[in-house]
Amino acid sequence: MFRLKKFLAPLLLSLLLLITACDSAPPSDFQQAQQESTQRGARAVDREAVAGGEFNKFFPRSQAGYEVVYAQEKKGFAEAKLKREGRDVAMLAVSDTVSNPEAAQKFANSTEQIQGYPVVAQGNTATALLVADRFQVKVLSRDPEFTEGDRKTWLGKFDLSGLARLK
Amino acid sequence: MSKPIFELVDELPTDNFTVKVLRGLDFVIPGQWNNLVGFKNTIREVTGETDADLIQQIGDRAVWLYNDKSQGYQRAMWLYQTVDRTDSALGAAALANKVGEKVPLLGFLSNITPKADKAQTIDLCLKLVVEVVAFCQINGIPGDSLGDFVRSLADYGGESLMRMSALVCLDALIPLGPDFIQKAQGMLGDLSPKELESNGTFSSIKDSIPGNNAAKKLDFIGQSFDSVQGWMGGFVRDRDLTPQKVTSNLTRFVEIADDKLDYLAAFLDMSTNYYEHTGTQTLARRLIERAVAEI
Repeated sequence: MFRLKKFLAPLLLSLLLLITACDSAPPSDFQQAQQESTQRGARAVDREAVAGGEFNKFFPRSQAGYEVVYAQEKKGFAEAKLKREGRDVAMLAVSDTVSNPEAAQKFANSTEQIQGYPVVAQGNTATALLVADRFQVKVLSRDPEFTEGDRKTWLGKFDLSGLARLK
Repeated sequence: MSKPIFELVDELPTDNFTVKVLRGLDFVIPGQWNNLVGFKNTIREVTGETDADLIQQIGDRAVWLYNDKSQGYQRAMWLYQTVDRTDSALGAAALANKVGEKVPLLGFLSNITPKADKAQTIDLCLKLVVEVVAFCQINGIPGDSLGDFVRSLADYGGESLMRMSALVCLDALIPLGPDFIQKAQGMLGDLSPKELESNGTFSSIKDSIPGNNAAKKLDFIGQSFDSVQGWMGGFVRDRDLTPQKVTSNLTRFVEIADDKLDYLAAFLDMSTNYYEHTGTQTLARRLIERAVAEI
């Protein structure tokens, strides 16, 4: 009996530890963003951000086999799908980096320009351009046949100087 | 506080009764829906990016956007969840031990109360209105912009099109029959604002429906149905859909008696949450599309 008591407590304790250890899932990689973005006063979109609808008129028009279909229009952001023969081949987007200035920082390392505006490649599918140090224009491939060259061509089809005057 | 978006997407089931039913509707839109689950997985699939740092940046921005209440994503998620919430004891628990075997509908008959056509019509219309309102919240279009919504229906694909297919099949064709459009229009015409107000789902979501009183909200519901009925009729005609075709594709996992379609409809309503499931997938996709374009 004495022996049993001696072993029982540590046994139960280790069992408890084991159970609690298994029970708690590892924290998500997005936990930090979750915490920061739910603090009082936290905002993802700045009050000063330009309304998405303001950006629409600077998007490229549908042309020769391509159709531009507007998809999202939120504060500080507008996006359209670029379609060829009914299939999505790319996304076209304009966003106001006043909400997330770190997005504009990557252009400091830019070595390339389109119409005088700095251009950077991002990941495997995106090419971005910054207008007036504030508005980010991005083309994102949704079809492997839509190449980096195509992305640059379509960046140049936005009315970039018009967008620059929006500031 | 509401659940983080990454948890909602990570916790989407890979295979449960809802997923089985949706797979059973693959014949309606062949190959269009795959059950995409997991937050990082969704980021990879939507963006085509694989770099861990980039996925982290995209996910972080999506989390921030979702948590900014002014952006409307949480409201849209709440609508998808609320219009689909079952208050029945016959839910996941009762079906949990049935995964992998056929569900004998007859065994559940005593737990099921079929809905009257009027209640079913309200259900159908409220789900439709939630689609309109959630679409506008997610994509940033004014909440009563039916024209924009109807135009975009033509461009629906993936999980959004599956949600609409399930709406037509499970909440219209099976409970109301092949002439569901005329039937629902008739029912809506007879419906009084008072009757609408006594509906539990309506009470929960009424603040999100355009209109400053029940009569105006009923008008909006009617307008929504009218604007979408052409699309629904075309959808059924183009695919030659009938209640029998739909049920025969569900018999792989539910034992169905043809004369008990109203019971089947009520059973599916009580045992699935396809609006919440596919709504979460749609919202995650749009959020990630925005996040990757903004970072």
